[in-house]
Amino acid sequence: MKDEIIVFPFSAIVGQQDMKDALLANIIYPSIGGVLIRGEKGTAKSTTVRAAADLLPEREVMKGCIFRCEIRDPRNLCETCREKIAQGENPVSEYTRMRVVELPLCATEDRVAGTLDIEHAITKGIKKFEPGVLAMANGNILYVDEVNLLDDHIVDLLLDAAAMGVNFVEREGISYSHPARFLLVGTMNPEEGDLRPQLLDRFGLVVDVEGEKDNRERSEIVKRRLNFERDPVVFCTSFQAEQQAIRDHIIRAKQIIAELRPDDLLINTAVKISLSLGVDGHRSDITLVKTALAFAALDGRKVVNCNDVIKAAGLSLPHRMRRRPFEESSMDFAAVRGIIESCYESS
Amino acid sequence: MNHLFPFTEITGQEHAKKALLCALVCDDIRSILILGNPGTAKSALVRSVETLTDRKKVITIPQNVTYDRLLGTIDLEKVITSGNMHVHPGILQEGNNQILYADDINLMDEGVIQSILSTSETGQYLLEREGLSRMISTRFTFLASMDPAEGELSSGQMDRFDLCIRTDQITETGMRAEIIRKALSFEHSPDAFVLGCEKETDDLKKNIQAAKERFLYVSIPDGHADLISSLCIELAVQGYRGDIAVARTAKALAALDRRDEVIFDDIKLAALFALEHRRGDRQDRPPHPPHSEKEERPEQDSDKNRSEKQNQPDTRSDDQIGEQDKKNQEKNQIPTPPPDRYFDIGSPFEVIRYLDENTWQVTQKQKSGRRSRVISSDSSGHYRSFRYPGRCRNDIAVDATIRAAAPYQRIRNRNGLAISVKKTDIREKVREKKIAHTILFLVDASGSMGVQKRMVAVKGAILSLLNDAYQKRDRVGLMIFRGDSADLLLPPTRSPELAAKLLKAIPTGGKTPLLKGLTEGYLLLTRGKYAAPGENKSIVLLTDGRGNMPLTNKAPGEELALIARKITGTGVRFVVVDTESGFPRLDRARILARDLNGSYFRLEDLSIHGLAGCVNELMYSER
Repeated sequence: MKDEIIVFPFSAIVGQQDMKDALLANIIYPSIGGVLIRGEKGTAKSTTVRAAADLLPEREVMKGCIFRCEIRDPRNLCETCREKIAQGENPVSEYTRMRVVELPLCATEDRVAGTLDIEHAITKGIKKFEPGVLAMANGNILYVDEVNLLDDHIVDLLLDAAAMGVNFVEREGISYSHPARFLLVGTMNPEEGDLRPQLLDRFGLVVDVEGEKDNRERSEIVKRRLNFERDPVVFCTSFQAEQQAIRDHIIRAKQIIAELRPDDLLINTAVKISLSLGVDGHRSDITLVKTALAFAALDGRKVVNCNDVIKAAGLSLPHRMRRRPFEESSMDFAAVRGIIESCYESS
Repeated sequence: MNHLFPFTEITGQEHAKKALLCALVCDDIRSILILGNPGTAKSALVRSVETLTDRKKVITIPQNVTYDRLLGTIDLEKVITSGNMHVHPGILQEGNNQILYADDINLMDEGVIQSILSTSETGQYLLEREGLSRMISTRFTFLASMDPAEGELSSGQMDRFDLCIRTDQITETGMRAEIIRKALSFEHSPDAFVLGCEKETDDLKKNIQAAKERFLYVSIPDGHADLISSLCIELAVQGYRGDIAVARTAKALAALDRRDEVIFDDIKLAALFALEHRRGDRQDRPPHPPHSEKEERPEQDSDKNRSEKQNQPDTRSDDQIGEQDKKNQEKNQIPTPPPDRYFDIGSPFEVIRYLDENTWQVTQKQKSGRRSRVISSDSSGHYRSFRYPGRCRNDIAVDATIRAAAPYQRIRNRNGLAISVKKTDIREKVREKKIAHTILFLVDASGSMGVQKRMVAVKGAILSLLNDAYQKRDRVGLMIFRGDSADLLLPPTRSPELAAKLLKAIPTGGKTPLLKGLTEGYLLLTRGKYAAPGENKSIVLLTDGRGNMPLTNKAPGEELALIARKITGTGVRFVVVDTESGFPRLDRARILARDLNGSYFRLEDLSIHGLAGCVNELMYSER
């Protein structure tokens, strides 16, 4: 039963530009903080996220490290890697693909946080930590489908780890911690119940997706799906060139973003928006700036333009507006747009 | 020897049979939901599918299946003997290349439903449980059945089903007689019966096999493909699952009919199978209550009626809206002349603990969230974690016990055993039971509630209570009574957001059928889905207690008291929120609360900031 499930190619997904852009922005600039994809059932939310796995870039990590610690990120190394460096060992690196680690709803606490390695314990009689999903997720994308249905105690684990970037395990006589910095990607259908505000705030961007209303686009979606079902291998081969183009695009954008710094205009615009909306905290400002930079980079530009900021505002602000659970979103997007436009026009 | 009732001999239910055949032809039709009243051959149909395939078995998923059994768990024997991790396969894996069947799926645990449906869709699932981490591939056809009167699935869950069909009550006498004859003759001598229809079964099998091969070459002409999309857009089908399911099904139907090209009729029938349960154009209407649906549906000839509607799917919605309008008009015009008024929602406030949580047998301090999650004391519920055992050690967490024992195996004398477990290693399972808390808001929307814009405050209060329910993640329903009816605007759901939306549109006006509201609300919570034992059920009744629509010829007050006493002590808690205002006060709601043996609050008491609220809370905490 080892038959690989072939994933529908990202480049074959019709429409849903916002969702794709938000994912790509996060891939090239992970500190944007993840994305929540909210929307109608059956609008290719999960399909798109799973498809993104095929596009993920490579990372340079410590060789042999189970947490795949990033070699250029000395502040977030696991104990073993830190010891190695402290003992003067010259770090050896290897390249590994960033990947999508899935957190299923049925996951038990021990599998999420990690637990004692039972096999090792029985055969060797030595206690050893067996990493869980949070360890796998380090440096990768952590994907939760139907994130709003996640059990409370798992959400707590997730929030703790996400807030600290570290997973602490204290159980079964094991005391252990390891880096757990991941890109949180969630999908949900709001009709099935809402997300706890704490968890909502963990997501850098929120995309609301809708089904395509255009007749021709919809037929195209059906056609592609049926072709895929009929012969997935042939179908994927026919999209190979497009897939490679997106991969190259990501690599290019990553290079640009590494050098890109926000200019004063962008920062001032972000501040103006926040002040006018009365948002608490600075998380939304920072996310807005980062996302605008990412959009510019994705477009191959080194200069952020007005449209980048407008698009970034639409994805990074609405879910951070203080609102009571049943109030309609209180954000006046036209006003925000106006602010951005006037900032960029007067410059 | 086959003792299953043969598929070919099932009388009627042509649609259901067609849909099942489609799933046998097209492997990508992976899930079918069968709706129907009890005794409409739902499970007989499903089981009979086995007679059409030589290799596939129908495996039933038990109602109270645990995650261990469903997804798989540690194979202890192998772990102990070999020292390596082994998975003991769960039902989903055993069902690979088979047919899985869940009866009464609407009564199953939500997480379980979710796991089955997403596995059937993606053909794989990730097992992250109890030390195991495996991606497991399994492809099965999932068949589920339910009686919608017992409660519904959420629209998201419905959408996951590729096809949804309804089994009909057969009303034609000839057919009914035939059913009896066949059933008796099958019972009398199953072998002979099966033998008698062997040829038919074989022919059908051959046809399925041929259709399976043909399916790959069936094409959908471009014009027809566009028709599918425009149909979905017109019916406001969310997402693309509907479009894709119609296309697959139409192709399967064409293949079954020995054609290489999809024709209009295929799409028509496929749309009935794949879109009826996904229609979005009915969402503005409140989701139909299970019991009133029966009243709306014409008793006789439902089959014919349905096929007529199916012929013109686009006109159906108009018809329905028309009916609904007419019904509304009747409601509004006959009883009282003053027109309905629509009031705004008053400002929401923070709610006191009106549901007095202490009485809910909560044995664990809640950090936040759900008020009704309980660590169960027996061995029911999900295995969540483990602990050092208490006095009795019946529910041993074997995996945790082995983990505890494992590190000492080298130093312990095992006496020839594979593993030596000492008393101190033993861990006990901590099981968690989710006790659903269902709150039905029963709202008096009669004319008297419009006095001094009382309804504004009432709506504000409901919104606040909903907000509270939202934070505690209760299941809430909303029922209003006015004129001469009690209407379930929202069957209990976990999305109070929906309730809040409906709140705005509650009209006010007409007489006060308090008795009717009370009985309907009570019946809703005490039968079908919401009647499950162990669930917490509350009715929050917002009224001024001035009922004026007696059901019998007794005096209204007397009648109310009688009914009230009858329905107390049967598991439903009552909270009466008195909306009476002005002077003199009649205190009828207070009397009703007493008769119902429920809690009583005045509207103003509910706010945590109100003086009265503080006093009330003090009283509660002292008790």
